Amino acid sequence: MLDLLAQGLALIMTPESIGAAVLGLGAGIVVGALPGLTATMAVAVLAPFTFFLDTTIGIPFLLGIYKGAIYGGSIPAIVINTPGTAAAAATALDGHALARKGQGRRALEMSLYASVIADMLATLVLIFVAAPLATVALKFSSPEFTMLFLFSLTMVSAVSGNSLTKGLISTALGIGLAIIGLEPMTGQMRYTFGMPDLMGGISLIPLLIGMFALSEILLQAESGAPAIDAVGQQKNEPRATWQDVKGSMRTIFRSSGVGVTLGALPGLGAEISCWISYGLAKRRSKKPEEFGKGSIEGVAAAEAGNNAVCPAALIPMLVFGIPGDTITAVLLGAFMAQGLLPGPLLFEKSGDVVYGLFVLLMLTNVLLLIFGFFAIRHLRKITLVPSGLLYPLVTVLCFAGAFAVNSSFFDLVIMVGGGFVGYLMRKTDVPIPPLVIAMLLAPGLESALRQSLVFSDNSLSIFVTRPISGAIVVLLVTVLSWMAFQAFRKRTRARTAEE
Amino acid sequence: MRTIMGLAVGAILGSLGATATLAQEFPEKPIRFVTPYPPGGSHSLHAGIITTVAEAYFGQPMISVIRAGGGGVVAAAEMAQGEADGYTVLFGDPTINSLRPQVEDLPYEIDDFVPVARINYSPAVFVAAADAPFDDLDGMIAYAKENPDKLVYSSDNKNGFTYVAFEMLKLKTGTQMKGIEFGGGGPAIAQVLGGNTMAYAGAPSVVGDHIEAGTLKAICATDLERWEKLPDVPTCQEEGVDIVWHFWRGVLAKAGTPEDRIQMMSDAFGDLVQDEGFLRLINTINSRVGYLDADAFGELLAREQKDLKELYDAIGG
Repeated sequence: MLDLLAQGLALIMTPESIGAAVLGLGAGIVVGALPGLTATMAVAVLAPFTFFLDTTIGIPFLLGIYKGAIYGGSIPAIVINTPGTAAAAATALDGHALARKGQGRRALEMSLYASVIADMLATLVLIFVAAPLATVALKFSSPEFTMLFLFSLTMVSAVSGNSLTKGLISTALGIGLAIIGLEPMTGQMRYTFGMPDLMGGISLIPLLIGMFALSEILLQAESGAPAIDAVGQQKNEPRATWQDVKGSMRTIFRSSGVGVTLGALPGLGAEISCWISYGLAKRRSKKPEEFGKGSIEGVAAAEAGNNAVCPAALIPMLVFGIPGDTITAVLLGAFMAQGLLPGPLLFEKSGDVVYGLFVLLMLTNVLLLIFGFFAIRHLRKITLVPSGLLYPLVTVLCFAGAFAVNSSFFDLVIMVGGGFVGYLMRKTDVPIPPLVIAMLLAPGLESALRQSLVFSDNSLSIFVTRPISGAIVVLLVTVLSWMAFQAFRKRTRARTAEE
Repeated sequence: MRTIMGLAVGAILGSLGATATLAQEFPEKPIRFVTPYPPGGSHSLHAGIITTVAEAYFGQPMISVIRAGGGGVVAAAEMAQGEADGYTVLFGDPTINSLRPQVEDLPYEIDDFVPVARINYSPAVFVAAADAPFDDLDGMIAYAKENPDKLVYSSDNKNGFTYVAFEMLKLKTGTQMKGIEFGGGGPAIAQVLGGNTMAYAGAPSVVGDHIEAGTLKAICATDLERWEKLPDVPTCQEEGVDIVWHFWRGVLAKAGTPEDRIQMMSDAFGDLVQDEGFLRLINTINSRVGYLDADAFGELLAREQKDLKELYDAIGG
């Protein structure tokens, strides 16, 4: 393996490859930072252009975009509370709360450090244990996925707002919306009322853009206040310190573990990982009450959780040729167009190139740190743009982004609708993330549940008799009882205080 | 850069639905090439390659439009309601264009489309998990007969490519096996690799490396002759079960498109598939060319649609 690493190093340490990665990284951060534009979209649009480039140029470029865009999403989430992706929504909770307190820079820097550390750890896992990990991941079948989906939904309902009830309401709405469209197992139409537009279901990305970004714009338009209070621009704005990083190190390690595990499972991704990481961090934190109100640990948890997924998602793609999500699906295509056929023979046939890419992943990480610094210094100034200019611009991006996903006008309707519903939810303090995540997970949950029941001839015992599935059930029950216990204690305490 | 500009201009023209006034040389504006599946699959990969080299053969840029949803139904339904001017073509396949409109209640009909050209096809290769209790078709049939409904296989979607392959197998061999629809080829193959199911059927480009690596056992291919890159895998006919089932990728236009435009595009695709750059890329993605012009493609479609109807009448699906 070491000689392959050395060969790969020689292959990739050329000005062209590194230049391509830098270019991709820069472009990726911009794409990620613009609400409405997504990493998937950027990679999908640019992938055909790499078909005619050399492997050591085209692939580094795409990997750079991928990485940059995933990180870039945290910037608008923190600065103007408009996460461009569901994966950055968890970051917005505490990140934006910190920004409002005038600690935007601290949050941005923490998010950068957490991202880079988590990504580094995950890349090491990818390099050294990709094959064994992928083999374990394949043992996950429908029952395990069913339980994982349930676990994720529980976490997001519980941690994204102040009230579990409101979280559950939001989750239920999301599941309701997800039911619309083609039924996944038998292809029956559900709630489409004969409208072809609804057959594909409610598109997630337009809805997400509307709910996360447009609703914030509506809120800002109503308040008429500047994007961020003048505190945000003071000279000696606090920055992330060594103490901050050290204090969050356990959280970052835990979140990286969660991210790697979920990333390696085909079909689950950053959107889930950030919430589970966030939920676990809150549970284990010494100061859980700060979560949601500006916890630096919360920022670290969410960002480490979603960035660790990136390298891990490459594991099933490279080892088995099975893409875990849409972006790795697009990357898979780009790899194939270069004659690198992901699958069991990839390492045998093109070992040098693959290890070269591993080296490159490490390198782009270091570059990301430098780029991130630069980006934070300048993009932070977005808040200096008068809101009368900034928000209309973001609105345009919302429309462009929502349309670009499927080239569909109906998606614009969904986006605007999502914007107004999101506005109402923000007004009534119903958290938005559970709705979006539930919409994202419900189809998978339904399919996995029904597949499991086909496996077991309709016996529910399959969920506890399989070891991994059973373990997740135990974990779920533990977390639920802990939550019930917390709620009970809070209530008794409140009662004692009254007396 | 020019391509990007072309794309941008094309997108604007396309979305405004600029009306063709004079019947001049077709095409006089960019053609939209609609892929009905999400980015990343083999369809969008082929579409990317076709549209990149198309301009030289059509005299106009070809814009790749990804219009995913409802397993391809959304794009087909939209096209069926669009204009029959040849400026929008569908990158179809047997499930969207031959099977599902016959057996499901969809907002479009088979007759809403006319064939332009087939680009290529691939057969399905039946494979078994490495630890499955059978090694060839005879063993598989014997196992299924002895253990009705115990042979669990990975399927893609109801009425999908893999789904149909197994329906054919079950009908022709009189066996009962249990299929689980995993919603796509990716998860389906993952489940057979993990040993959670016993069998699967997929394109040679997908299962080929696994057969070579020994992580899956090859059973047979649903083609008339052996696949050139998998010379050791017998056809199902050789093994005594008459199954031929092709997943073709082809271009279709809205019914009513002027005949000369169809002919022009059919010829242009015929030249395109011989393009050097196209062939190089199609080889690197482990695919190949299997061009048929509009007429030959039309005959294939008619035959296929009849066969599928008979299959579904027999299984009562």
